[in-house]
Amino acid sequence: MSKNRPVVEAIDVKKTYMLGKVPVEALRGVNLRVEAGDFVSILGPSGSGKSTMLNLIGALDKPTSGTLLIDGVDISKLNDNQLANLRLKIGFVFQFFNLIPRLNARDNVELAMSIANKGKSDRRKRAIELLETVGLKDRVNHKPAELSGGQQQRVAIARALANNPKFLLLDEPTGNVDSKTANEVISLIKKLNAEDNVSIIMVTHDQHLAREARRTVQMFDGEISQVVVNGQ
Amino acid sequence: MKALDIFGYSFSAIKLRKLRAALTTLGVIIGIAAIVALLSITQGLQATITNQLNQGLSANTLIVTPSTGGFLSGGGGGGFGGGGGGGFGGAGSDSSGFKLYINYTSEIDALSPDIETSLAVISRGGYVQTERLNRSVTIYGVDFNKYAQVYSTTFVAANGTIPTNPAENDTVVGTRVNQPGQNGTIFFNPGDRINITWTNATVLPPVNETYTADVSGVLQRIGGFGIGGPSDTGVYIPLEKAQSFFGTDQCDMIIVTLKSSDNATISNVSKLITDHFSNQVSVISSTAVLSLLTSVFSTIQLFLGGIAAISLLVAGIGIMNIMIVSLIERTREIGILKALGMKSRTVLTIFLGESIIIGLMGAIIGIISGWVLANVTARILGSGVFGGGGGFRIVPLLTPEVLLGALAFGVGVSVIFALYPAWRASKLKPVEALRYE
Repeated sequence: MSKNRPVVEAIDVKKTYMLGKVPVEALRGVNLRVEAGDFVSILGPSGSGKSTMLNLIGALDKPTSGTLLIDGVDISKLNDNQLANLRLKIGFVFQFFNLIPRLNARDNVELAMSIANKGKSDRRKRAIELLETVGLKDRVNHKPAELSGGQQQRVAIARALANNPKFLLLDEPTGNVDSKTANEVISLIKKLNAEDNVSIIMVTHDQHLAREARRTVQMFDGEISQVVVNGQ
Repeated sequence: MKALDIFGYSFSAIKLRKLRAALTTLGVIIGIAAIVALLSITQGLQATITNQLNQGLSANTLIVTPSTGGFLSGGGGGGFGGGGGGGFGGAGSDSSGFKLYINYTSEIDALSPDIETSLAVISRGGYVQTERLNRSVTIYGVDFNKYAQVYSTTFVAANGTIPTNPAENDTVVGTRVNQPGQNGTIFFNPGDRINITWTNATVLPPVNETYTADVSGVLQRIGGFGIGGPSDTGVYIPLEKAQSFFGTDQCDMIIVTLKSSDNATISNVSKLITDHFSNQVSVISSTAVLSLLTSVFSTIQLFLGGIAAISLLVAGIGIMNIMIVSLIERTREIGILKALGMKSRTVLTIFLGESIIIGLMGAIIGIISGWVLANVTARILGSGVFGGGGGFRIVPLLTPEVLLGALAFGVGVSVIFALYPAWRASKLKPVEALRYE
């Protein structure tokens, strides 16, 4: 049980936004279970509710109803501080990299650890190791503007891994890089999953990318329409 | 997040926009510099005046004058700040009709065992003339022995002697009487003769009355205003000579020395004297003058400090403005930080940290520039505008209170005006902040 406790478990999760005075049902009852070590992609066109799922799984937002357990914790019951603490366990990788422009690659990775209260010497050592893992050993002192899109995305992945997260949450990880770089990024993600047993949840609208995961959860109109187990 | 890391992050944000931070800091610098400069000059001035007052009027000394036209009552007489030697009461200018007589000293002596002695002073404006010099002075008729006892530190001859048993025509003069410029040009010395003149306006038409006096001594330099006591521009003649020369038995003030300088004795004797003369005299003690001075200077400091504080408030509004702009620019960054697990209160601290850095830098640079400004100003004032009269010098005084107060005020204003932007930054919702372009 403990080994296979789900990192994410959604039970009848609903989310309703108010768009002006009009309520919009973004999620209409989603059930999802992601085990540790799994690699799941959430696929759907825009408006399908996948971005809402991303925000909820990233503990950036709370569901309107239903239960969403992240690492076994019901996020509806958490206050802002507890949510922030929970986010330390989630490795968020954004579509637009979202690195801090004034900090170099190493400091960007270190920032995540300093938010988690890690000491300076530990941080520096681990940041260098992680950048080495993602293949940026010789770019540690470069600022985001001096790095290519693919390199920035790898810094973002290194940052996401910094605090040993329960899972990596990727938002369109190849959305802003060319296809060659996209292949490099996806290889890195698969390698992390296969070799380091990092659980991965990837949100995308790209069918080809989605098929790289072990399972593809297809969303449509606020519901899960299909779950596909991808062949080896 | 550790405090040092928060501080480092704040600092990296400031470093990114150096010019903006510098201009914001400049606002604080100007405000703090103005406060420090004005207050340190005012405090220096207060210290100078207090010091001179203490020289002229020691704590165990009381000055009795007719209650109008007297020392501090604002009447038409000489008044308090009578310049180099204006003296105290204008003779006979009191409108009440009450007059102080020289022989009242014996009445005062008998009032209380706490009284050591009392002495009468007659003073008139007049002139000293030699072949080459015609100088306006204040002529004081005093008992040389008693006067030298009361003002043992200032009524001291630097040249010649103060006669203990003066002949009728003996005189002692202040150092700026025989050497007006204090530049080595000496017009007469002890042993020389000078003409002393006053304009008698009690007869019509007024007549100039003159006699020739023998200079026995020249006083050491006293400096400053000569409040209360001997003055650099005073000419001292024996009391009896003054009585006959001015044709009066009245005096302008009676100086009373006490055996003790504690407040109870001072107020007790002051009351005995005013009661004895049916409230027609004013009794001034250095304690009373000092407390008046202190209250006057407090008001001046409050006023000047208030004006300077306004400029700091303007700086505070500048800080607030720039922080709001910065907050809007960095909305996305705040979203990222929160998505990475940063708590709202850490975001708040980062923004406050930036304002603390700006406030601290502004305050430190402001204090230094204010101090420099105060010294430059004091030098300019000392060299000319004020200096002409009594060699008057202000030494700016930066008390620890002003120093720490300025520091706290600079940082405080910065933080207070950053509170709202920082609070807004901390309240940003991560989902919306991340979506912000």
